[in-house]
This record gives sequence, C-alpha cells and structure tokens, in this order.
Amino acid sequence: MLTYAIRRILQTIPILFIISILLFFLVRSAPGGPLTSARRNPNVTKEQIEAIEEKLGLNDPLPVQYGRWIGDMFKGNLGQSIKFHRPVNDMIAERIPNTLTLVGASFFLTLLIAIPIGIFSARKPYSLFDYSMTTITFIGQSIPVYWLGLGLIVIFYVTLKNPWTDIPFFPVGGMNTRGKEGDILDTLWHLVLPVTALSLGWIAWYSRFLRSSMMDVLHEDYVRTAKAKGASSNSVYYKHALQNAILPLVTLIALDLPSLFAGALFVETIFSWPGMGRLFWDAAKGRDYPVLLGVVMITAVLIIFCNILADLAYGWLDPRVKYE
Amino acid sequence: MNEPIIQEQSMARVILRRFFKHKLAGIAIAVLALLMLASAFAFTTPYSPTDQEPTNSFQKTSMDHWFGTDELGRDVFTRILYGGRVSLTVGLLSTFLSIALGVLVGALSGYFGGWVDSVLMRTTDAFLTFPTIFVLIILGAFLREQQVPWLKNSVLIVIIIIAALSWMWPARLVRGLFIVLREREFVTACRALGGSSSRIIIQHILPNCIGPIVVSGTLQMASAIITESGLSYLGFGVQPPTPTWGSILATAQNQVFRAPWIAFYPGLMIFITVMAINYIGDGLRDAFDPYVIHAEK
Amino acid sequence: MKLKFLTLFVILGLVLSACGGGGNAPATEPPASGENAPATEAASGGGGGGAVTLIIPEEPTTLNYFMADAAIVRQVAEATMMTGLATINEKGEYAAVLAQELPTLDNSGLSADYKTVTWKLREGLKWSDGEALTSDDIKFTVEVLSNPDAGALVGTSGFDLIASVETPDDLTAVLTYSEPYPGYLDQFAYGLFPRHATGEPADMANWEWNRNPVGAGPFVVSDWASGESITLTRNPNYYEEGKPYLDSLVFAIVPEPAAQTAMMLNGEAQFQLWPGEFKADYDELLKGKATQHLIPGIWNMAIDFNLSAPFDGDPTAATPHPILGDIRVRQAIASAINYQSLQQDVLKGSVSDSTNPFAYGWYQCDLPRKFGFDTDKANQLLDEAGWVMGDDGIRVAKDAMYAEDGTRLSLELQGYTAFDPLQLTEEFIVENLKAVGVEARIQNYDFSIIFGTFEDNSPRAVGDYDMLIFDRGFTTEPQGYNFDAYHSTRIPTAENPTGGNYFRWENTDVDAALDVAGSSFDTQTRKDAYCTIGQAVIDDMPQVYLYLFQDNYGVADNLEGYILSTWGSMSWGAQNWKYK
Repeated sequence: MLTYAIRRILQTIPILFIISILLFFLVRSAPGGPLTSARRNPNVTKEQIEAIEEKLGLNDPLPVQYGRWIGDMFKGNLGQSIKFHRPVNDMIAERIPNTLTLVGASFFLTLLIAIPIGIFSARKPYSLFDYSMTTITFIGQSIPVYWLGLGLIVIFYVTLKNPWTDIPFFPVGGMNTRGKEGDILDTLWHLVLPVTALSLGWIAWYSRFLRSSMMDVLHEDYVRTAKAKGASSNSVYYKHALQNAILPLVTLIALDLPSLFAGALFVETIFSWPGMGRLFWDAAKGRDYPVLLGVVMITAVLIIFCNILADLAYGWLDPRVKYE
Repeated sequence: MNEPIIQEQSMARVILRRFFKHKLAGIAIAVLALLMLASAFAFTTPYSPTDQEPTNSFQKTSMDHWFGTDELGRDVFTRILYGGRVSLTVGLLSTFLSIALGVLVGALSGYFGGWVDSVLMRTTDAFLTFPTIFVLIILGAFLREQQVPWLKNSVLIVIIIIAALSWMWPARLVRGLFIVLREREFVTACRALGGSSSRIIIQHILPNCIGPIVVSGTLQMASAIITESGLSYLGFGVQPPTPTWGSILATAQNQVFRAPWIAFYPGLMIFITVMAINYIGDGLRDAFDPYVIHAEK
Repeated sequence: MKLKFLTLFVILGLVLSACGGGGNAPATEPPASGENAPATEAASGGGGGGAVTLIIPEEPTTLNYFMADAAIVRQVAEATMMTGLATINEKGEYAAVLAQELPTLDNSGLSADYKTVTWKLREGLKWSDGEALTSDDIKFTVEVLSNPDAGALVGTSGFDLIASVETPDDLTAVLTYSEPYPGYLDQFAYGLFPRHATGEPADMANWEWNRNPVGAGPFVVSDWASGESITLTRNPNYYEEGKPYLDSLVFAIVPEPAAQTAMMLNGEAQFQLWPGEFKADYDELLKGKATQHLIPGIWNMAIDFNLSAPFDGDPTAATPHPILGDIRVRQAIASAINYQSLQQDVLKGSVSDSTNPFAYGWYQCDLPRKFGFDTDKANQLLDEAGWVMGDDGIRVAKDAMYAEDGTRLSLELQGYTAFDPLQLTEEFIVENLKAVGVEARIQNYDFSIIFGTFEDNSPRAVGDYDMLIFDRGFTTEPQGYNFDAYHSTRIPTAENPTGGNYFRWENTDVDAALDVAGSSFDTQTRKDAYCTIGQAVIDDMPQVYLYLFQDNYGVADNLEGYILSTWGSMSWGAQNWKYK
C-alpha cells in the first residue's frame, strides 16, 4: 500500500506539471496586467510603471518567467503578491483553514443527511418516502448556490428575527462576532447559513447516487444468493448491500471536490467568508498573477491529494481491491 | 445490416414507453417543451426586451407586467423569455459539445487502450483536478478579450468554456463502457470479419452506450445552465444587453430589498428548468435500466 | 468493516475540527504591537465612545496611501496615516493640520519668487508609537516620494521639483523648489512618513509599515484579519486633545451588496460605503436606523467620440471618422439623449447634471448645455448631414460628408464591465439613439482592456472605437490630467504612446489655454483658462458629458460629528465621530 501511495504521488507530478504550464500561459496571455489601474492614474508616469515592471520581472520572456516561477515553487515558494507585497504562501496559509472549515463542515453535514436518505429511499423504492425525498432532493439540486445564499440572508437575517430580542437568528458577516474570535461555538453559529447554502445541492446529489447504487447492488448475484439462502431481509440489506453500495461514493466524493470548491467561491462572497475562493476572485480581478496562480495550484494539489486519499481509503475499506 | 436497426427502433419504442411510465418525467418533458416554446415565441409579448420606460421602473407584478418591471422599466417577463433563449441554448449546445468531445476521447481511449489510453486518460485526469470555477473565470477572461470579431462578446465563448471543462465525465463514462463492450462476442466477431475500427466503434459499440450517455447528458445540461448563470452572476458570463437568466439575476443583486421579484423570477426559471431536466434524466435512467421493471413487479 | 467506516468518520471529524481550530488562529492574533495596549490605558481624556463598524466591499491591498492602487485604500488609510501638514476640507480649501499655519505669501511661508516654502510644525507632536514627530520626518517624506525606486503610485507630483530640504530646528522645514510649483500645499495633504519606523526609501513597497503604519492620524491598526476585517484603535498620541472620541473603528469587508445593507438594517454596522440602493429606497428601507447621504463626487461620466477613422491601423487624426467626423452627427447624438430622464428616472437622482469636464472644485465652470434633449433637432441634424432613414429604422448615408452612400449609421459603444450604473446608462442611451435612427452596439471590455496601454492594443489608445463611455475624475490639481487629455500634442501614436487625447482632437485655442493654466499661480486666471477649455468641449464636441456621480454613504442615525467631503474618503474626520 505504501509503494502504491508513493507511486500515485509520483504520478501526480506530471499532471501538476501540465496544469502549471497550461495555467501559467493562459493567465499570462489574458490581456491586462496588475498595473492597469496605475496606468489610468495621470500622476503615474510611464517610466515609473516600467521601472516597477522591470523590478517584478514582468518584461522577461514568458518561458523565462515560467521557469523562475516553477523553480521557486519546487522550493515551496509561491512568490510575492504584486498587489499586497506579501508572500503568497502567507496569504494562502491564512485562508486555507477557513475554506477547509467551510467545505469540510458542508461535506460532513452532506454525508450525515444524504446517506440515510439514500439508504431508506432504496430500501423502499417508489414509496411515498422515496418520492418525497426525490422531490426534495431535486429541489435542492436545482437551486443555484448564490440564489439560495441570497434567499437565506433575506429570510434568516432580515425577515425572520427572534421576536423577543429582535436579533436575527443567524449572522451573515464573516466567521466570528466581533470580540469573539476563536470561540468555536460562535464560528459554528456563523457557519449555519453558508453551510446550508453549500450543502443542499450536494445532499441531493449523494442521496440520489447512493439510492441508485444501492438498487444496483440489490440485483447482484451475491445479494440474491444471500436472500435465497434465507438471510433475513435486514441483514441482507445492511450487511451485504449497504457496504458495497457505499464504496463508489468514496471515489465520487474525491471527483466532486473541484465543484465543491466552486460552490465555496459563491458562498464565501455572499457570506463574507474569508476563504481561498475570495482570495482568488480578488486576485483575478486585479491580475495579481502570483496569488492567482498560487491559489489555483494549491487547490489542484489539495484535490489530487484528496483523490489519492480516496483511492487508499477505498482499498482499505474493500479488501477485494489489490494495489498492483 | 438492416436487422439491428429494426431491432433498435423497437428498442427505442420500449424505452419511450418505459420513460412515460415515470409520470413526473412526462410532466417534466411537457414543462421543458413549454419553456422552450415560450422562449421561441418570446416576440409575441407586447413588449421588447430592450424597450425602456424609465418612469415606470420597479413595478410590482400586475396584469400589464406579469413579473413586474426592472430598473429601466423593462418588462421582466419579456426579458426572462428572451433570456431563456440564451440560457437554454447555452445549456443545450454546451452539453452537445461536451458529450461529443467526451465520447470521442472516451471511445478512442477505451477501444484502443495502450498508450492512447494512457495519454488521453492522463489528460482527462489533469482536467478533472482543475479547480473548475477558477479556470472557467480565467478562460473566460482570456477568450473574451481576444480580437476575433465573431467571438467578441459572443454567447459562443460561454458555451465553449463550459464544454471545455465538462467533457471529462462523459469521457470517463464512455471509456468504461467501451472497455467492457470491446471484449464482447459481437465485437470480436466483427473484428474477425475485418471490420474497420471506426466502423466497429460507430456502428457497433456506440449504439450500445446511448442510454448512459443520454442520462449523463441531462446531468450535464442541468449543471451547464447553473454554471452559465453563476458566471453571469460574477460578471464573467454573457455580456449585456443580451439578457440571460443569470445576467438578469446579477443586476438584481442591488435591488434585493427594493424589488425582490427581479431576482426571484429568473431564479425560479433556472430552478424549474433544472428541476425538469433532472426529472427527465431520472425518467431516462429508469427507461434504460432493465432492473426497473424487475423492481416494479 | 462497519468499524472501519466509523473510524473513517471519526478521523474526518477530527481533521475538520483541527481545520476549524487552525482557521481561527491567524484571525485571533492579539493586537500585534506591545506598545498599543499600555498606551491605550495611559490615554487621558477622550475615548470611551465605543466602536463603529464600517462596511467596505473589498480589502485594501495596503494602508500606505502613496502605494494605493485602488480607491478602497484611502477609505481605511485616511483614519490612520493620512494626517499630514495640511488637509483639504469639505469646501475644497486647504487647512493646516500638523503645521501651525499654511505657508503663504502673506506669512512669508512662501517666498516672493514662489521657490521657497517654509513649514512650521505644531509643538509637541508625537507619532502613534510615542516618538517625537519632527521636521526631519518631513525631510524623510520628501526623500521617499522623490525617489523613483520607491515605487509610489500616487501623490508624487512635484516632489522631483524639490531641490533641497533644510531643517534648522525640530519644528521647521525649509523646502527649496527648482521652479515654482502651484501644488505645493497639496503635496503635504496626504500624510508623512516616520523615519524611525519605516525603512529604506527605495524599499518602500516592502515596508512592514504599509500594513501597520505608525502615523499621526486618529487611529492605529490593531488587527488585520485577512479577508474579514481591519480593526483600528484610537491613537493615544493624537494631536487634538480629547480626540478621537471613539475607541475603535472596525472596517468589515463585505462583498455582497445585499449582505451589506442587511448588516446596516440589523445595526451591525454604522457606516456603509457606496450602498447599491438608491437614496429614496435606502432611506425607506432603513427608516429610523440609517440614512443615505449624497455628496458631489469627482467622477464625471461622458461619451468620448473618436474623431479619427477607427480600425484603419492608423492611430493619428489624419483621416476623419466616416460618421462621427461630421460635427452634426455628434450634435444629433447629444440631442437624442434624454439627460433629465437618465439622471432622475434611471439613476434615481444619484447623479447630478454635468456638461463639461470642470464640474466641481475651485475650477468648476457652470456652462449650459448647447444641445439639450430634443429629438426633432436630432432628426433634423441627421437629415441635414445626409443620413436618411432606412427600412429597418436605422439611418443610411446618402450624400453624407465622409461616409460612402449606403453606410449604416451604426456605431460601437464601448464601456467597461461589471459596473451597474454604467451598464444602465449604456442600455438607456442605446434606446435613445435608436429613436432617432442611430444604432449603437454595446461592447464592454474588462477594466484592464479599456484602460490598457498602447502596446497592449487598448482600443482607445490605438483609436479603435467609435464611442467610449466611462467616468473620469481629477483632484484639486487638475493640470496634469487635462493637459494629457486635451492638448493636441497628446494624441496617442506609436511615437507618443502615452498620450491621453483619445478623441484625437486638435484645437489651438485649447492648447493655448492649457499653457496658461499650467504656468499661472493666480487661481482666477487658471479657472478662466479651464472654462475656455470647457466651452470648447461643448462647442467642438469631442465628448458629450452626461452626469456627475455623487459619492454615497449610508450612515447610522445614531452617529454624529461626521462631515462628508468630496475631497475625502469615508473615514475622513473620524476623530470627530461619536454616538448620540
């Protein structure tokens, strides 16, 4: 298993390499640059801007710049933000935990709700429960995240309030109430609305997936054999079917991570959550190349890492899988 | 060669019958058809999507303006119908494009295996690890500013970038199907008879993959419509004055309290459309799935 | 196997809570500097006024005003490091701040040849860290801002003209200029740098100071939670006795407009920058809680016409624009726009009327519009100019001045993306023009394209546009901007790529007036020169001015003592704020 893990990690290097080349040239060939707003300023002379560009090495040929960037990256240095004049490493390090908290909490809630729904829907397909769950989950899946986010603000922050204190039920701004930084309970309270907005669609998706995967498994020969042998219905269901149906979920989750990060971008913007998505968004608007590339690369690494973890977990859970 | 075709038609009929057994899927088809018709006949409303009446802005829902008016006094209902054209087109075309690309990659990869498979699948993996939304935005910014006249501001850009980042799922799916099917007797037989690879792929294997491909197509379309609206919401989608559901929603952001209906209706339309597509997908899945009948018994 | 699943979930949970814990760590770092805490306790008088939360839509990249790459920087920096020798008050006049008085001819602060300026500091001034603020810091500020390697982006005008700085004593700085510089007060209205707490001038971009400035302003940065908020606490060494009244300012970064207003609604914030709602709606929604205030801004919206042929590979004014080259077409376009409705109905009175570039400040010229809204006039002008109505409602050339017969009267209207008022204006104007048979096609580009360089092929620089709509603004010293925009030598070409005369407008009277305005020290003479230019813009019509934006702020009703100024940002004068 260890050798497998090592091999997988080695395999990711060329992938990361391809990604880095594609992204770098794409980002750098898009028009505009980090000093555009300065150029609009009549007080800034062209010489000033050229001097700054020279200092930043923005005038070198692109391949040279790429070489420098990738070289630094191998040394673990993502460069210096052009706008903030701070190391990109620091800026990302500040934000990663926030995004992981948000994505992680959503993910946890999603599985907590989706798995039972999927199981019971498949247990009695075409029952009232199944139909109503199908409907509810489809609703969840069909609402754009940002629309849901706005709606949640209007409903739970503006319209509905505690009638005795006139205080909204849930906060919307940031991660903590002023003066309560570091209070886990306070952060959890701030997480309620963003996590709801982010999770709803995923709950729908996973519960649907689990339902169909359960139903597939129920038709497999070994389940039928177990039934034929007279195993109790519950035991067949929970022991044989469930365990096999849940396995593909592990892979699916790993594949879905990029989309989960996408949703996080919207949620972070709407709920003022200081995460990586917003860092990216600000950097994209200001063409802060090092930050832009840094965030995307780190996210790609995170996603690949989770993919490997998922594969390993898969093997650990399913003894039939042998790592070659 | 005639026989399999006849076979297929009757198969299609079976599938169709099964599909309409799923009542909600039937309703969903009707809803979607209605939406498409309404968008196609958007010109029949008494207003144009751009005609303004600034003194008549922010009107609530009334008999004259079913969905009220926006900040320029334009009829929101009309704009939503016209917006539907773009949103539905983006959804459909980007899905076709991504399925086409996905099928191509998946078929080649699954059929030939070996180094072709390695190269194509490594590329697919690389695309799968892209943080999609980030790359969508970067790609959008890049393409939109290219000085290509027919690309300028065009809806095409949105279609292309959505397709460019969603073909990996059909590709993986099709590859998986091909790996199984290429070993089947009818394929081996065909190969033994000297059938060319392209012929085997197109005429023999592909028809057997239609079911799963169509089902995954519905998922793609649903997500494409949501992605388009999200890009517009962030200001990276289709440019004004072309209305799309996403862009109407985006400009309504500042008016959430003043005129919530401007944000509500386009959101509702996206919701209904995606919901309908999902139900259709559900119906198709059941229709193509031999187990369903078994389960119903 | 069940056990394995369980284990997986527990591990997941642990990882998550670890993430959560880690997430809070950087945000909760206690106020950075040790000096702040004891100093606050030692403060005598003032304070105790509580905290005010201010909403800003994005995070400033730095708190060093001179490094500001966006307007947002000043909104925060003004409360901490932008207290300089002078300031510009809400009337647009200079007032002494750290200086005892403004140097003028009358008090001999300004020498008769305008080349020597003597600044006298108030006595007993201290930086926020308790160190003495002396004339040497003025000298240091000049050293930094005149150093081209420092990388300052704004506020450097005229510093290259300062030949030497003498500091005879701790309170006096004598500046010698190589030539007279009319903006000598403006130079010192944006803050000073402390020599002891910064670093090498050439390394300014990397100063730690930029994120936690030691300044002379009313507040000091105590916490910066990236992407979330910046907290400032009162500066115990502020020069005005008993001020600031408040204990702290919290700048909350909230990108979503609906969330911003919702926070005001719930009393979680007291000051909102640029609310998205129009005043009437805002006041109605927040009745009894907050009010929106509009003050004249500096951003002046106009349509630029390209007087030279576009898309012909020639950026010079050699060939006239086939359609817009005829002034009657430009006049017709100006007559087709319903300014009143645009300002009042579309933008709900959030803007005021503007007819020329000089719409505010000491150089304000109140000139009447020559071609007001009049569709008949527009139609008549177009008929005369040889544009006849086509079958599809768009006019076609027939004996027009430059255009070949059969040319459609179709023009590209360029703007930049993601700015709602601009987009509304564009959509409104397109309809206005359609009514008189002129087709305008909206083509919005990213900010970085519209304001890009000649080398980047920015359309306005290389002259590839028909009409361009955007807002421009200049400060109390307008010469640089206007010379660049209107002088005939500033037409951008390959040889002269930085020019800003994007209309490609040549007018000798304007050239002469610009030279007068740039050399005179007499305000009235300068103003007259600018008004000459303003009138020429109206007559020759290289641009048509649409409206002047007003700056809008939402302020909680229980706050008082604030003064909103065209020339300041939201936190200007925060030392005077208090709760009722």
